[in-house]
Amino acid sequence: MYKVLPENIKRGHTILEARGITKRFPGVVANDRIDFKIRLGEIHAVLGENGAGKTTLMKILFGQYQPDEGEIFIGGEEVRFKSPLDAIDLGIGMVHQHRKLIPAHSVIENIILGHPRAGKILNLKRAEQEVLEICEKYGFSLDLNAKVWQLSEGEKQLVEIIKALYRGAEVLILDEPSSALTPVETEKLLISIKAMSEGDLAIVPFITHKLPIVLQISDRVTVLRKGKVVSCIDTSEATEQSLAKEMVGRDVIFRTQRTTVEKGETIIQVNDLSAFSDKGVMALNGVSFSIREGEIFGVAGISGNGQRELVEVLAGLRKPEGGSVSLDEVDITFADSLKRWRLGIGYVPADRIAMGSIADFSLVENVTMNYYFDHEYYRRGVLDTKKIRELTNDIIAEYDVITPNVDIVAKCLSGGNLQKLILARVLSRKPRLVIVDLPTQGLDVGATEFVRNKLIDAKKEGACVLLISEDLDEVLSLSDWVAPIYEGEFMGILPGEDAKRELVGAMMAGIHLDEESA
Amino acid sequence: MAEFFIRSLDASTIFTIAALGELIGQRSGILNVGIEGVMLFGATLGFITAKTTGSYLLGFLVGIAVGGLIGLLHGIFSITLGGDQVVSGMGIWILGFGLTTYIGSPYTGPLGMERIPTILGLSPFFFVAIGLTVIIWFILSRTSLGLRIRSVGENPEVAEVSGISVAKTRYLCVVGGGMLMGFAGAIYSLDYNPVWNYNFLLGRGFIALALVFFSMWNPFILLGGSILFGTLWQLSLNPQLFLPGLMSRYIWRTVPFAITLGALLLMSTKWFRTKWGAATPEALGQPYVKD
Repeated sequence: MYKVLPENIKRGHTILEARGITKRFPGVVANDRIDFKIRLGEIHAVLGENGAGKTTLMKILFGQYQPDEGEIFIGGEEVRFKSPLDAIDLGIGMVHQHRKLIPAHSVIENIILGHPRAGKILNLKRAEQEVLEICEKYGFSLDLNAKVWQLSEGEKQLVEIIKALYRGAEVLILDEPSSALTPVETEKLLISIKAMSEGDLAIVPFITHKLPIVLQISDRVTVLRKGKVVSCIDTSEATEQSLAKEMVGRDVIFRTQRTTVEKGETIIQVNDLSAFSDKGVMALNGVSFSIREGEIFGVAGISGNGQRELVEVLAGLRKPEGGSVSLDEVDITFADSLKRWRLGIGYVPADRIAMGSIADFSLVENVTMNYYFDHEYYRRGVLDTKKIRELTNDIIAEYDVITPNVDIVAKCLSGGNLQKLILARVLSRKPRLVIVDLPTQGLDVGATEFVRNKLIDAKKEGACVLLISEDLDEVLSLSDWVAPIYEGEFMGILPGEDAKRELVGAMMAGIHLDEESA
Repeated sequence: MAEFFIRSLDASTIFTIAALGELIGQRSGILNVGIEGVMLFGATLGFITAKTTGSYLLGFLVGIAVGGLIGLLHGIFSITLGGDQVVSGMGIWILGFGLTTYIGSPYTGPLGMERIPTILGLSPFFFVAIGLTVIIWFILSRTSLGLRIRSVGENPEVAEVSGISVAKTRYLCVVGGGMLMGFAGAIYSLDYNPVWNYNFLLGRGFIALALVFFSMWNPFILLGGSILFGTLWQLSLNPQLFLPGLMSRYIWRTVPFAITLGALLLMSTKWFRTKWGAATPEALGQPYVKD
């Protein structure tokens, strides 16, 4: 199998077509008669919630799965992919959400890996020349000799894009292209995508959330729900609301209303706190704030500005270099993490797979992680598994975690369900302070709404919440206080009602509140 | 003194070749802790062949072939069956120790053949070891095959989607690596010390294993390290040469391991990792199972 693409297929012509694609897994029809056409030079977004069948469709188009029924056509000719290699040979490229790159190798080595023209003895000079031509054509810039582990997420993604183009891709599938990117990197990506579509490539981003990106960039959009295509329209006819409705199947309220509740005692008081990062530089530089009962304190900022250090110091995972922290007037500056849990700090980490859960443990065992130290749940050093199981059953029912039972391992849960489970486990302890780091990152519209409402419920019950988020809309719609963070310092602390988008955006970029008002 | 250094270089020859075999396997992600066992097999069967046929060439060929076969066995366990590589490797060592003692005991004693001529007083295999070091460095860093091997050892999944057969590449490396280990064993029993006795390697295979970690998977550092380790080994045989009374032969023999521990400690520091990245092949020791 090698390129069947006739030379005369150009901009606007259908390059890839799927007809009646059906794929069944035990107990579920993941893809149900999906029809789908992609033209050269178009950006065609595929939108759907987690579990809508996006991943399955993507894997079928890339040859990782074979469909049970249906055909795929490239340039009008029917093709069958036995493996991703067949798809690659026929001009389909894939940019994975979890990058398929080798960190220890250089950029150019990653790009030529597996390339048929790599030759027996590597001719890196020639390969570099050819790759540079591609970069020039689309306006990419990248150091080809850097090691991949040294690159930022956005640069790694660019390496995957270039790798696909170097293999001759004409249809580029992007899996959740803007996830893990900073806003600046996202801007760059959108420019690159535009450049590639103008160069007659077909770009197919698969997106779960971040509807604004779909509207901003795509020409057409196909929406999947429960394995079926529910609509395929020109993006110009869609709005954020209409797309969300089609994805979820009901109206979604986007702007969670800020509810103000009676504010009580000060729970946490932080004075002049500073901390080093892993690299040994001062990443958190003297922040002070306090949060009272019934308040959500939102820290807005691009990741890497000291949020991680702030959260880790408060959770007891990192030693502060200076300053003090007290919880309910008890000094906890140097308390260990377990003591903090006992005193009523609940922590929902940003990385739910690596830090929030243990993938090979069952749901019951994962819930135990936050309860094993409570006298109520063990007797003479032996865990009361029956009681913990009951607790797990109760909280998964309350938090709407969709799972066949509580004995399956955590890695079987989808991202949204796992996040609900972690949130349930933390909030069910009725903590005084809830620290949530990027609580809705990577979640679909429905799960995002759920998580945000639970945070509001927590504050209604008299807890206080420290919310760390990169999503400006999330911070603005939830917080009673907004603190934009830049290079380890708060640029000011604004009451929620005064926090205007433009102002907070400017402060996140490093403009101090005083300078702004002066 | 010159005699001492020549013997040290001869000892390092065996470390170099065996460790290069281990290095190729590890770069592809397969750990073989049974290197001592593979060497015992190669050494013993090579010795018996040479003694019965009177041909050095046949002895070496059998040593290499047997090493390759044991490598293949390790491959079947760890690649095809996805078993635990440490368990398989330990099995090979124990099997090698037991079986070679059983097979070899009737042949206990000297080889009784004319010695292989030396070049500038050194064993010709010393130069073979240097040549192999350069060749393996070139293959790993300059060829497409080398890139494939390194990729498979770092991240087999990525290699597979790039169109590389993980299993084929790994088999190539464990079999090729096993041949080098068998060859190193045969050099010991036919050239370095042509006398058969049970368990005659005295842990040289384990030193070669440590050497691979010490080398940070770089063939040239491996060559330098093996000369250092060869010298230390030679000191352990002649403890009266240096700091007599303080260092017994058994303490000398632990020094390479202590140095390796130090190197591993250095590699695991944050300073090292932020400056050089991770030196260890990331998928080392992990079976790759396709879903």
